[in-house]
Amino acid sequence: MSSPNSIEDDSNGSASNSIRPASPSKSRDDSRSDPISKNNAKNDNSTYSHPYRRHHDSEFLMDNEYTDFREVRDAIITNRRLSEAAHSHSIETIIDKTSLLRLPTEVLLQVFHHLDRKDLFNLLTVCQEFADLIIEILWFRPNMQNDSSFKKIKDIMQLPSSKTHWDYRQFIKRLNLSFMTKLVDDELLSLFIGCPKLERLTLVNCTKLTRNPITQVLHNCEKLQSIDLTGVTDIHDDIINALARNCVRLQGLYAPGCGNVSEEAILNLLESCPMLKRVKFNNSNNISDESILKMYDNCKSLVEIDLHNCPKVTDKYLKKIFLDLSQLREFRISNAPGITDKLFELLPEGFYLEKLRIIDISGCNAITDKLVEKLVLCAPRLRNVVLSKCIQISDASLRALSQLGRSLHYIHLGHCGLITDFGVASLVRACHRIQYIDLACCSQLTDWTLVELANLPKLRRIGLVKCSLITDSGILELVRRRGEQDCLERVHLSYCTNLTIGPIYLLLKSCPKLTHLSLTGISSFLRREITQYCRDPPPDFTEMQKAQFCVFSGNGVNQLRNYLNQVMEERAYSIDQGEIQALFMERRRRQINADVDMDDEEMNIWVRRGLGLLQQDATEPQNPEMVEINREIFRELNEGNMTPEEMRDYFMRLIRNRHHTRIFEHQQQRIEQQVQPIRPPRNPQNAPQITQPPVFPSDDQNIPSLADDEDDVDMEPLFPRNPPA
Amino acid sequence: MSAPKVIVISSDDEKFPVDPKVAEKSLLMKNMINDLNPDGLQEDFEIPTPNVRANVLAKVLEWCEHHKNTIFPDDDDDDARKSAPVEEWDKNFLKVDQEMLYEIMLAANYLNIRPLLDAGCKMVAEMIKGKSPEELRRIFNIVNDFSPEEEAAIRRENEWAEDR
Repeated sequence: MSSPNSIEDDSNGSASNSIRPASPSKSRDDSRSDPISKNNAKNDNSTYSHPYRRHHDSEFLMDNEYTDFREVRDAIITNRRLSEAAHSHSIETIIDKTSLLRLPTEVLLQVFHHLDRKDLFNLLTVCQEFADLIIEILWFRPNMQNDSSFKKIKDIMQLPSSKTHWDYRQFIKRLNLSFMTKLVDDELLSLFIGCPKLERLTLVNCTKLTRNPITQVLHNCEKLQSIDLTGVTDIHDDIINALARNCVRLQGLYAPGCGNVSEEAILNLLESCPMLKRVKFNNSNNISDESILKMYDNCKSLVEIDLHNCPKVTDKYLKKIFLDLSQLREFRISNAPGITDKLFELLPEGFYLEKLRIIDISGCNAITDKLVEKLVLCAPRLRNVVLSKCIQISDASLRALSQLGRSLHYIHLGHCGLITDFGVASLVRACHRIQYIDLACCSQLTDWTLVELANLPKLRRIGLVKCSLITDSGILELVRRRGEQDCLERVHLSYCTNLTIGPIYLLLKSCPKLTHLSLTGISSFLRREITQYCRDPPPDFTEMQKAQFCVFSGNGVNQLRNYLNQVMEERAYSIDQGEIQALFMERRRRQINADVDMDDEEMNIWVRRGLGLLQQDATEPQNPEMVEINREIFRELNEGNMTPEEMRDYFMRLIRNRHHTRIFEHQQQRIEQQVQPIRPPRNPQNAPQITQPPVFPSDDQNIPSLADDEDDVDMEPLFPRNPPA
Repeated sequence: MSAPKVIVISSDDEKFPVDPKVAEKSLLMKNMINDLNPDGLQEDFEIPTPNVRANVLAKVLEWCEHHKNTIFPDDDDDDARKSAPVEEWDKNFLKVDQEMLYEIMLAANYLNIRPLLDAGCKMVAEMIKGKSPEELRRIFNIVNDFSPEEEAAIRRENEWAEDR
């Protein structure tokens, strides 16, 4: 039929070749008649493009690098298809069968997908065919993420476009300048004036930028889909009007700093850009119900409305938005006294805001439990709920929210001073998937809340700032119940003034993923040995505030953990001075004798401190009282007969009793040990060579020095080392 | 009568009878089988593949046979598909001369067998990695159609892409 070893020569043409840019087989494609090829083409579309587009349409994202490859591929392929006729060079006829150029564009792009930029750079100059493809991939999103490439791109952009091989501006579709914000000024942004295909412009935290270059960059950007101006300070009517004039396809606009923008400009924008899906206008006294009405009338595809700190907005038209914009996914407003319990009143019974996942109505003081109850009925799939500073909210709201069950992942109830442990218990017991919970300044909460939080397997962040009733027992119980290898990442305990170092040490030990720990204003931690690992306080803090500041993040958390580990391994931590000194001496003796396993030793110290709760199973199997106490606490928790107050007292009493028993036992033990013969060192090479190790030395001289004794001097303030007198 | 077969016919008219399960590794053939036999396959069903020659088709069907029970990542899961390493059997299977490799990829593309195409793409990508433009031209048999000045200018203007 056809010559062997050739697909191209096949007289039936080929579907796979049909999208080759320089295909001389165009006529063959047109006359193609075999059903398979058509089927293939159809199938190709339905399998690869549609699911993606569907996702993209429903949940427009501001700037998502993850989608780059698909978008660049789709764009190139579409382009090639459209311009097939225009390309006239006929490479194909002379292509060697063993040449990579045989592969059609879409397959070549698939190959390039597995290469990094450096390899693409080497392919770039191999031949024009590759260059045309790769240049579009490289400049689709110019990499401005580090100094060196930032500068190189800047240098090239400074050349007049007639002096460069391509006019690179025509390839740029994504421009993100938020990685090197210190280097981004008006001059730099001006270099990007005239990128006709720009789709996404991200200027987050480019604080030096002013309105003029931004306005100019937008000129003729009719394809712009999103612009993120978060952190840009000079947001002015000019910018908003330029968007309205040029960017009719705009889908996302984040302009939180739009306080100086007139409502007129915003109305103009909402009128001109009916495709808007995500809008963020924050901190504006100009935005009023007029804007909401315009959104309602003109922007029917909104999925996100963010009106943080727009106090003039009321629920007048928002009610209609909730009734009509059924695809709404995220809604935020704050500090708006005009938001009342009537916000959802138009929603008939049985009506569901099925798409609503995020709601934030913080600081809207007028709302009460009634609104929350209605909200939960209407939006059963809420994932994030922020009700901070809604000061009328009480346990009734928490009971309502518990109906969200596994949907709820994120809950912020800061400054809701009415809520109690009971509310938290009912919420947490029903919503197992909570990852983030903030209860800052809910000053009625006690250790019981911590016990309840221990039951959340996916919990990553706990905020309990200024919950000053919380004590060490609560933290210990949290740690004990959550177990080792805890998934907690961020813990905020500032101003929980009763806390001390021991339980925090255990928290650090059991949470390897911890990246943030705040302990501001807790006197136990405000000492140099601890605060040396703390992060710098914000520069605008007063001296007073700086002195109180104690926040660990990133590596600071690891350093604190390591430090405490080291200290705990070396010494016992002191609460009960007399007891601990004896312990310390005994421990030193045992260390000298090398007859002690470090972990055991450390555990023993905790046990002797009366915190045997922590390891009743592993290390103290002979400790039936502790098992009994735990069982008791469990029972109380599950039955819930006690008020939080009572529970805490009871809890403490049990531990205290236990503690005294242990001290007594320990003294007994000591007496017995004195009688026992001293064992020889197990590891004489490493242990200091001493003939007669003193059991209870009467003074310092009798204790042989340990190798790292110098360190002790530093730790003097925190840990006692004086031998008993 | 034995279970009906799918008979795949190459461009040079060679017939390959295979289990429907094997043929269905190709989405193209799977859709054809399902579309044209809404009540299930009752008798042998012929599918012509007019741009795949017999020697290539034999290779492709060998791959389908080997993987008839393999579960691959979802076609839409770009990430999973990209990160999955090429398995050893596929590597050996694709150790063929470049011409054959490209033909297998073309056929996989045409027949819509994503995992096979992915594996081929990854093999080619491996061949590209870490090579200079000159080496790439030699390996892939490509003629340089840039003047030295053009090439230098392009490299200079895109130097930033070399950075990590």
